[in-house]
Formats: sequence, C-alpha cells, structure tokens
Amino acid sequence: MISRKVILTGSFGVGKTSLFTQFIYNKFDDKYLTTIGVKVNKKSLDIDGEELSILLWDIAGEVSQDKVPVSYFLGASGIIYVFDLARPSTHLNIIADIEYLKKMIPDGIIKLVANKKDLVTNEQIEQIAKKINIPIDAFTSAKTGENVEELFSQLGKDLV
Amino acid sequence: MNESSQDDLLLMNRLRAILLKEDRTVLNQLHDTLEDPELLSKKVAPIIEEHIDFLKKNFPKEFHNSVNDIVDKRIQASQNELIDALYPVLGQMIKKYIAHQFQQLKDGIDQRIKESLNTKNIWWRIRVSLLGIKDSDIVLRNLDRPKIEEVCLIQRNSGLLMGSASLNPTIDKEVIAGMLTAIKAFVEDAFQRDNEELEMIQYGSYKILLYNFHTYYVSVALSGSISSGEKEKINSQLQTFAINELKDYKPQNLDEMNDYISEKLDYYFIVPQREALPALVENEQQASKAL
Repeated sequence: MISRKVILTGSFGVGKTSLFTQFIYNKFDDKYLTTIGVKVNKKSLDIDGEELSILLWDIAGEVSQDKVPVSYFLGASGIIYVFDLARPSTHLNIIADIEYLKKMIPDGIIKLVANKKDLVTNEQIEQIAKKINIPIDAFTSAKTGENVEELFSQLGKDLV
Repeated sequence: MNESSQDDLLLMNRLRAILLKEDRTVLNQLHDTLEDPELLSKKVAPIIEEHIDFLKKNFPKEFHNSVNDIVDKRIQASQNELIDALYPVLGQMIKKYIAHQFQQLKDGIDQRIKESLNTKNIWWRIRVSLLGIKDSDIVLRNLDRPKIEEVCLIQRNSGLLMGSASLNPTIDKEVIAGMLTAIKAFVEDAFQRDNEELEMIQYGSYKILLYNFHTYYVSVALSGSISSGEKEKINSQLQTFAINELKDYKPQNLDEMNDYISEKLDYYFIVPQREALPALVENEQQASKAL
C-alpha cells in the first residue's frame, strides 16, 4: 500500500469540502458550513492493482494561497486547487496561486479544478476557460458528482 | 345668497385673517418643521440626546428594582433550565479540578521518592513511611495510574502514519495521524514561537503527549493522570526505542516499515500494559478497599 498526502485548496466557498465529501462519502449537502482550520480524511483507491491511500487535507478557504500556513503543504505529494465556475472573483488569482503552489511542492502534482459545473452552460465554460488561459485539469460538479471520481482516479494514477 | 350676507362673509374672512395672522404663521412654521426631516431632527435630537444621557446616568437608580425583580422572577421560573445549563460546565470543572489535584499530589510524592529512593525492594515501604508519606497517599497514587491507550509514529511534515499500536481498537489511525499533524501545524504556525513545539493535547483526564524527533514524532495517548516523572519515563522509553529499533533500520518498502514499527511499538509500549493490566486491576481493587 502507498500513502500520499493531498491538499485541497482554493478560495472560500468554491466547493472544496463538497468535493471532499462527494469523494469520500459519495454525498452532497446543500448547507454551507465554512471549514475552520483543516479537516483530514482518507480514501483508498485501487490503481492498476496497487492500493493507494489518499490522505486528503481539506483546508479552510483563503482568497490568496500565500495566506495558507506553509506547514500544511509540507510533505504533500499533490494539490487540488479549486475555483468556482459561477463566481468570477475566484478566477482572478488562479495564475499567481498556481505559481505559488508550484513553489510549495516543486516535485508534486497540481490539479486545477473548475467546480460547480452544474451552475453554468457549456458556452460559459468555454468563455471562462479562454479567459483564464491556463489548462484546467477537470470540470467537476460536487453536487451531481460529475467528474469527481475521475479527478481523483487520475490524480491517483499520477501519484503512483 | 344676497348682497348683504356676501359682504358679511367677506368681512368675517378679513376679520379672521387679521385676528389669526400670527397663529397661522406659527402653524405654518410648525407644519414646515414637521414636514422637513432636517428641521425636525434639529428640534428633536437635543431632546432625545438629553433623555438618553439622563437614562445612561440614571438607569441603575431608576430601573434597578424593576430589573432585579425581572431577573429574580426569571431565575425562579427557569431553575431547571439553569441547572441543565450549568451542570455540565460545573461537572467538567470539578472533574478537571480533581484530576489536577491528583496530578499535583502525585508529582509531590514522585519528587520525594525520587529524592530519597532508587530501589524498589522491601525497604521502599519502610523508607516511604519514614519520610512521612501516608499510606493513603500511596493508595491514591495507585488509584489513577496512567494507562497508555495508543502510540503512533508519524512522519513529521506529511503526517503520514509510519506505525502504530493500541490497547483497544480506535478509529482509523491514518486519519488520527493526519488530524494530529494538522492540529500541531496549526498551533505551531499560529503562535510562531521559535524552537517550540506542541507537546500535549488534553481533554478531560485524557491526554495525548507528543514527543518530537527529527523526521518524525510520536503521539502517546493515555488515560488517567500522569506525573512529570512518568512523562519523563515514557520519554526515556521512546529514546531507547528509537536508538534500538529505528536508528539503523533501512526499510525495503512502506508496508514493511509500517508492520515493523507497529510490531516494535506494540512490544515496547502496549505489551507491558497488557501484562500489567490484571495486576493493576487487582492493585486498584485493593487500593479502593484500603481507602
């Protein structure tokens, strides 16, 4: 079995905890409860016959990533950076935040995830992707579960 | 209407206009003041402010009795709710106080024993009695002995579990290790004290001691109260464990490492607890009887 620490980060209210809950428990809750500090949970994945245990750290949202305590990133093998497709203010710092995260884990894997796909149209998604101008790894909906399993499964493959 | 009565009406209106001229002016001013919020505010604000000042200065004097009556009646009417609200807090406080007193008592006894005794033979009791330590103190010390419930060896930065052993089954230890590391990181980051690390987490009489090493740390969860001497003893056991079992250990893979460390932790910390448990229970029963 391989164990890996993965950080779930991004601005507040973008759906990190919902992705976390959808991935770990296959559940979605409409109520918004802000995360205080960190919440840690685990899920095991079978990656081509190899058991991978993902320790997922769901970090309280910050407008800018340099506000997150550096110690949270130590020893992390991967980071999932989430933004909200329906909230343009969460698109503003993406490039700077990703650059910062690359410095935090130079050898780690960083996934850029556009969440709340269920709230926007395909045309809007295209426009946002064009505007952001940086490759987006996954378009997810924590509410419907769309692409959530695929995101973690791909991350798992990259981590093994 | 004839001409004369029309004249009368005209005269009457003129007379009214002359007689009520001043009143109408005042009435118009009053109307303007009432209709214009700014003017009204200018007039009314000083009066309200004066009243607020008066209330501020005289509230206790003016309303003291009424407020007291209301509070008294409310307390009388809600005694059960008050007890419900206070009971858990008081219970917790008393429990903590007793645990703290136990700990102080044990620290004192330990200190005195350490100063004068090194062996654990028959002379121990005699010398303890010569020191003036009461049997009841010894009994008390035995009543609430610390019990190691769980030991986890955790990678320092990532919080990944390297090995663990526990007396009783608990929730997923990998999650415990991650969460402990997150709490540790949060506290150390929040207070940013150079070269200082979180060493203990306590809730009620349950404690998690954290012993920090270079690339990993060890969490020791224990129940019961622990004296500083006993803490030191665990520390020294951990040092022995690290030197004997980890210093030259080169794992082939993570699975093997986890199994190896878990087995060793069990041997060093949990097996002695299990072996001592029947004797400890008997000891506690005797102590209770003696008390």
